[in-house]
Amino acid sequence: MTSKRSSLVVPVPSEGDFTSRLRSPAVAARVGLWLGISFGICFLTGLISHYAQNGNQPIPFPATPFWGYRVTQGLHVISGTAAIPLLLVKLWAVYPKLFQSMPWGDVRAMAVTGLERISIAVLVAGGVFMLLTGLLNTAQWYPWSFSFRPTHYAVAWVTIGALVVHIAVKLPIIRDALTGDVEDTTHDRPSAVETGALSRRGLLRTTWAATGIAVLATAGSTVPFLRNISVLAVRTGDGPQGVPINRSARAAQVTMEEGGAGWTLDVVNGEGVATSWSRGDLEQLTQRTETLPIACVEGWSASAEWTGVRLRDLLDAAGVPTGTDLRMVSLQKRYAFGVTELQGNFADADKTLIALKLNGEDLSLDHGYPARLIAPNRPGVLQTKWLTSVEVI
Amino acid sequence: MAGVSLTRSALGVLGFLVGVYGAYLLLSRQDFDQLLSAAIWLAGGVVVHDGLIALAALGLAAIGARLLPSVARTPAAAGFVVLGSITILAIPMLGRFGAKDDNATLLDRNYGLGWLGIVVLVVAAVLVASLLRARTSGETGAPDTRTDLEGDPS
Ligand code: HEM
Repeated sequence: MTSKRSSLVVPVPSEGDFTSRLRSPAVAARVGLWLGISFGICFLTGLISHYAQNGNQPIPFPATPFWGYRVTQGLHVISGTAAIPLLLVKLWAVYPKLFQSMPWGDVRAMAVTGLERISIAVLVAGGVFMLLTGLLNTAQWYPWSFSFRPTHYAVAWVTIGALVVHIAVKLPIIRDALTGDVEDTTHDRPSAVETGALSRRGLLRTTWAATGIAVLATAGSTVPFLRNISVLAVRTGDGPQGVPINRSARAAQVTMEEGGAGWTLDVVNGEGVATSWSRGDLEQLTQRTETLPIACVEGWSASAEWTGVRLRDLLDAAGVPTGTDLRMVSLQKRYAFGVTELQGNFADADKTLIALKLNGEDLSLDHGYPARLIAPNRPGVLQTKWLTSVEVI
Repeated sequence: MAGVSLTRSALGVLGFLVGVYGAYLLLSRQDFDQLLSAAIWLAGGVVVHDGLIALAALGLAAIGARLLPSVARTPAAAGFVVLGSITILAIPMLGRFGAKDDNATLLDRNYGLGWLGIVVLVVAAVLVASLLRARTSGETGAPDTRTDLEGDPS
């Protein structure tokens, strides 16, 4: 470090104080490439998840393949987790730029630099925010007062916008860096000459290793064969009747009595006429068994065997025509998603069940006793538990 | 602008528009208190990274460069990158801040033990690599006394 600054009370460094030749465009571009890919995957899968949860779907979300949402949402959380080591190394590699001096005096250059720095500030704030809020959400930790879903969604657009601007600004350097040798110094800062403990290749390999370990340590929440090595996964994948739960009956304030003798499932058709079935009645109808995943928006998923009545069979008995959108109403008294919409294509899908059993046993209360919806390719929050009525919209 | 290709300008405009759409989404769907909280977290992430995490990394690298024998520096630097990022990522699980007493299926592992397992494996790898280096180079290296900001003795 040049010593003239060490006597200042607040020693703000300058770009020139950073001497490691690892902090270079060659490293930033290579780590940035994978960071960009992971943010891209997060954005696309995030848009899919957002759309799947939208009440209003001009183009209906498809009910096939039944494992689709499990894969896209699993990918979303996996690539977001992978981006954490990538972002940390990336920001380390470009940290000196934080102390870049302004081209004072030249108004035009100041405007250009100022604008670029604003876009970079937005990118870094957004990038850190996305990964931080996403990570905390998987662990169901919400130490803030904004609403997670709209904020994570809006900031995603902001961040991707800033990322595209960033790529536009840096494109010539990115091109040179990615086509050139990793040891190339053409675009390096003049002070970035010192070799240190790690070579550039060494740092890159270490970064890929850290990224791989981050994925292996967490992905078991959704990838079954990683369960035993994902020591940091938010779920083991186990739970009552072999399946984890997200919201307990206690949290939703639903009791066993409510699903007891007096309970019926009412299907209200277009004319407002209700057909009701007790649990005993439902058990008398043709029972079907489907293997379908619960795929939570928070990224974990688990496959299970569900047994119950095909929803379409009930709709036929109640005189509801095919292609009708439905409202699924739960007994739950607390939290969102007590009422969800089920698009006609899901209501008509063969695999869509009013489930009474899970893995061969009567549903436990936490899994939605006396009856719950289980449909293919559908976010877990919309797999309504403790059903009380199904209404034509 | 002279010298700026069409591709770059188009990308720049596209990115700007996408960002503006996001800003509109952000500002139009929540009340002031929620937006204030979002603003604090947006700015807070940058402040904590640039002011705390980056400085801690600089400090630890400098300490490592002073204390570690030269044969251990490369493996230790690699181990630091891995353990540093994994530890930051593990904070929500280690603290079990989101745990709920009515849901035993959430955060249902011994995360302290799991994290310790990763630490043990990485430290063991660093030690083995250092010993192998010591053997091939035949020297253990004296502590370096230089005080670069980067802590990067060659
Ligand atoms: C979330 C994603 C990203 C974040 C948060 C990020 C952050 C940053 C920051 C803060 C800088 C310093 C800017 C300056 O003042 O010059 C930078 C520079 C740079 N970035 Fe990114 N970046 C991201 C994605 C990417 C991608 C996808 C690429 C390319 C494949 C990339 C390539 C570069 C390059 C080549 C530099 C110049 C490095 C230098 O001059 O030393 N970045 N990035």
